[in-house]
Amino acid sequence: MLRKHILSFLIILMFGALFAGLLSLDLFQGAKYRRLSDSNCIRLIAQSGARGNILDRNGAIIVDNKISYDVSILPQELGQLDRILSGVSRILGIEAKELKSAFRRNYFSSSIPVTVASNIDLEKAILLGEYKTEEPSIIVQPRPLRHYPYGSLASHVIGYVNEIDRWRLTKLEDYGYKTKDIVGFGGIEEKYDYYLRQEEGGLSVEVNHRGKFMRVLGFDPPRNGKDIRLTLDLNLQKIAEEALSGRKGSIVLMDPQSGQILALASYPNFNPAVFVNKRTRLIAGLFNNPDSPLINRAISSSYPPASVFKLVTASAGLELKKINLSTSFLCRGSTMVGARKFSCWDTHGEQDIVSAMAHSCDIFFYKTGLLLGAQNIHDYALKLGLGRVVGLELPYETSGFIPSPLWRKINKFQKWFDGDTANLSIGQGDCLVSPLQAVNMMAVFANGGYLPSPYIVKSVGVLDLSAKKKKFPRVDFKRSTFETILRGLRLVVSDPRGTGNVLNGLDVKVAGKTGTAQVSRGATHAWFVGFFPYDNPKYVICVLLENGGPGHVATVVARQVIEAMDKQGLI
Amino acid sequence: MRTSFLRILILALIIASLGVLSIYSSTYQKEGTAWQDIHKRQMLWVIIGLVCFFIMSQVSYRRLWDINYFIYGAAIFFLFLVFALGIIRLGAQRWLRFAWFNFQPSEFAKLAVIIFLARYFSRKSADDISLLSGKFGIFKGIILPFIFVAVPMFLIIEQPDLGSGLMLLLVFVFLLYLTNVRLKYILILMFILMLPLPFFWHFLRDYQKQRLLVFLNPNIDPLGAGYTVIQSRIAIGSGGLFGKGWLSGTQSQLFFLPESHTDFIFATFSEQWGLLGSSLLLIMYYLIIRQGFIIAQRTQDSFGRLLAYGISLLLALQVFINIAMNMGLAPVVGLPLPLMSYGGSSVLVTFIALGILVNIDRTRSVF
Repeated sequence: MLRKHILSFLIILMFGALFAGLLSLDLFQGAKYRRLSDSNCIRLIAQSGARGNILDRNGAIIVDNKISYDVSILPQELGQLDRILSGVSRILGIEAKELKSAFRRNYFSSSIPVTVASNIDLEKAILLGEYKTEEPSIIVQPRPLRHYPYGSLASHVIGYVNEIDRWRLTKLEDYGYKTKDIVGFGGIEEKYDYYLRQEEGGLSVEVNHRGKFMRVLGFDPPRNGKDIRLTLDLNLQKIAEEALSGRKGSIVLMDPQSGQILALASYPNFNPAVFVNKRTRLIAGLFNNPDSPLINRAISSSYPPASVFKLVTASAGLELKKINLSTSFLCRGSTMVGARKFSCWDTHGEQDIVSAMAHSCDIFFYKTGLLLGAQNIHDYALKLGLGRVVGLELPYETSGFIPSPLWRKINKFQKWFDGDTANLSIGQGDCLVSPLQAVNMMAVFANGGYLPSPYIVKSVGVLDLSAKKKKFPRVDFKRSTFETILRGLRLVVSDPRGTGNVLNGLDVKVAGKTGTAQVSRGATHAWFVGFFPYDNPKYVICVLLENGGPGHVATVVARQVIEAMDKQGLI
Repeated sequence: MRTSFLRILILALIIASLGVLSIYSSTYQKEGTAWQDIHKRQMLWVIIGLVCFFIMSQVSYRRLWDINYFIYGAAIFFLFLVFALGIIRLGAQRWLRFAWFNFQPSEFAKLAVIIFLARYFSRKSADDISLLSGKFGIFKGIILPFIFVAVPMFLIIEQPDLGSGLMLLLVFVFLLYLTNVRLKYILILMFILMLPLPFFWHFLRDYQKQRLLVFLNPNIDPLGAGYTVIQSRIAIGSGGLFGKGWLSGTQSQLFFLPESHTDFIFATFSEQWGLLGSSLLLIMYYLIIRQGFIIAQRTQDSFGRLLAYGISLLLALQVFINIAMNMGLAPVVGLPLPLMSYGGSSVLVTFIALGILVNIDRTRSVF
């Protein structure tokens, strides 16, 4: 009987097919189904650590974090959800309808918890925590937010935090940055974002088919970002910002021996907290403000250095032996360079190098400059650190600009005239210097001939960076050159007719140079770059007031700073 | 033959125990004592089933010849009763409420139809081994028995229980094949049955249409009709080689898999015991069915032989369709996995059928 054999064979075939199906599901597609099964029942609840704090040189907090609480809910069945939301709304005092619309707005996928309310205060968070024992699908998550105890203090040094933009995301994707990440913009927050950045941790929990919480499977603790300690001195920073008080410009204080930046103020400034609170109107105001409060004027803006540049001309003249201590020129208020009349701001009479610096006589420096030639002035400016970035650890530093005949020929196809040399020798024309560069240049004279590389980050986490700094390169001027220029700088203050005489009455001996930069439009920029105490320089200061008037104004502001420092015993 | 008795008993007991374990694993976390005690009810049914198995293995199967019209009549009667008094569960009217349990007459009807067909195609005398069908024409050979099958089948399909209804038809066709009815007649019957198939589409209920569509592509409605198949495939596939371990199956224990203790118990089992456990289970089912075939082949009496074939086929087809549907290889129809799925009627009827099978083998040696 054949039919029964066919039937038996059929049965074997059937079981063979079942076995083949099992093999295919379990072995060949097993990993896929395992993953699907996990995504069915495992939910990841992200928990973010705190961004690193930013401290001043003494460890005082400039920026830290305050904890705010977010309430999220595991997506689940509608009826269940309504019950939970009404419970949450009772505790928070927010209408259930509002929570529900927030849920719908933020819903992304059934496997991701949905935030229904954020910035809950601690008391309500605790209440919700108690309610959680009844409804374990509620998640109350602490979320550290940037907190600025001093408001806008040092805002340009710190920068602000905001959601990552497209441009940064494409650059940083490979380093583990994701959309919606909070990253730093400007200042330390941007430059050291990688270190400040927290690492995300989280819970993995098991849910059932209704999305209801069952149990915790694992916990990966979030890690906080590294703290960054700056070289800034909070007190000095406060003094500097108060002295600036509403005037456009910047003040930089630096230690000439170590190159540490002690204060870096720029005005107009901004309050970084507006980015944390997402105050859209205020943020738009910051970006649209014609005074650009987001720009750090101390490092990102450059100005004609004017008389401050005379330091360069003087040292070049002395070094190249075009002038010496006995060289003197007569100032009659003006002089002819080629066919053009170049005037001085005053009539100074007979001037030697020291008195010409003290009185900031333009005639003396026109003539010195013409003796030197533009290329020499340019070369000495570069020796003193101008015309290139100083290399501070803040983003968007400008290199400033020192013109030269060669540059003009190549880029502008124009000839260089003696008039241009005269202009360059008193720091006008195309010449541009940032306040940071001015400070750096002055530090060379304050510390006896070393060009510092200024820095502002003292340590990252436990790693002390200041110990790793290299010795500064020497600026190989003759001893007599330094001595002569130092005498001139001191005379600026001590001479009754010196341009910085306002600073003379102070307890501390100050030396420095003023500058009044003419601009094509508006009032002049006021400069004062100096150092103190004269005998043992501990601070280099630069005050720049944008359209602030004559250099005298900047000197007055410098006096305020030094007086306040003296009063607080900081010198 | 005591060996076939012991073999079938042991295999059935192991499978039934695995069923109880799987039922426990998929329901012990549910709320309510009714759910949590469900495995105890199943244990009780298995015990009752075992008692029936022993009784049936002692009572000569020849008695069934005598009372087969009564059995058939009772099955039809209960099926009608379901229409009148049946309780509705899961959208279908399949159960009769008795004192403390629900009885599913369609399970009983399957066995009744097999007994009826075995009787119809054989002679009373146990000595005459030739089959009647050889002398039957097309009317007596196919059309008349088909009518007898079609009545309960129609009643079951109308419950609606498409799976059990089609099961009757399948068993009928296979038995016809075995009774040496000319192949031509069978092909004609199949052809006639196929002919109105496109029209059947309109008689199908919406959910049945959906199930068929979903079988072709489960992703057309992943949260609706396709949900069960998708979750079932995930459950089986995620078990891997060794499974997630007893009580550690997330698909069934966190209730992603619906009907995890009844129709989809194979997925529940497979998730926890993996490829290894599932293969062993398949082998055990195969061994029982093979034993049934062996018994059938060595039985000379045509009634006994057809009965043994019918019972083995019923078991084989149900196991095949159920597991294939668990793996998404067959459309979802409401068919239990014999011996494993929760359900008193199914367990009881299966044990009775196995008892009859054992008895056929035992009685055979008497002659």
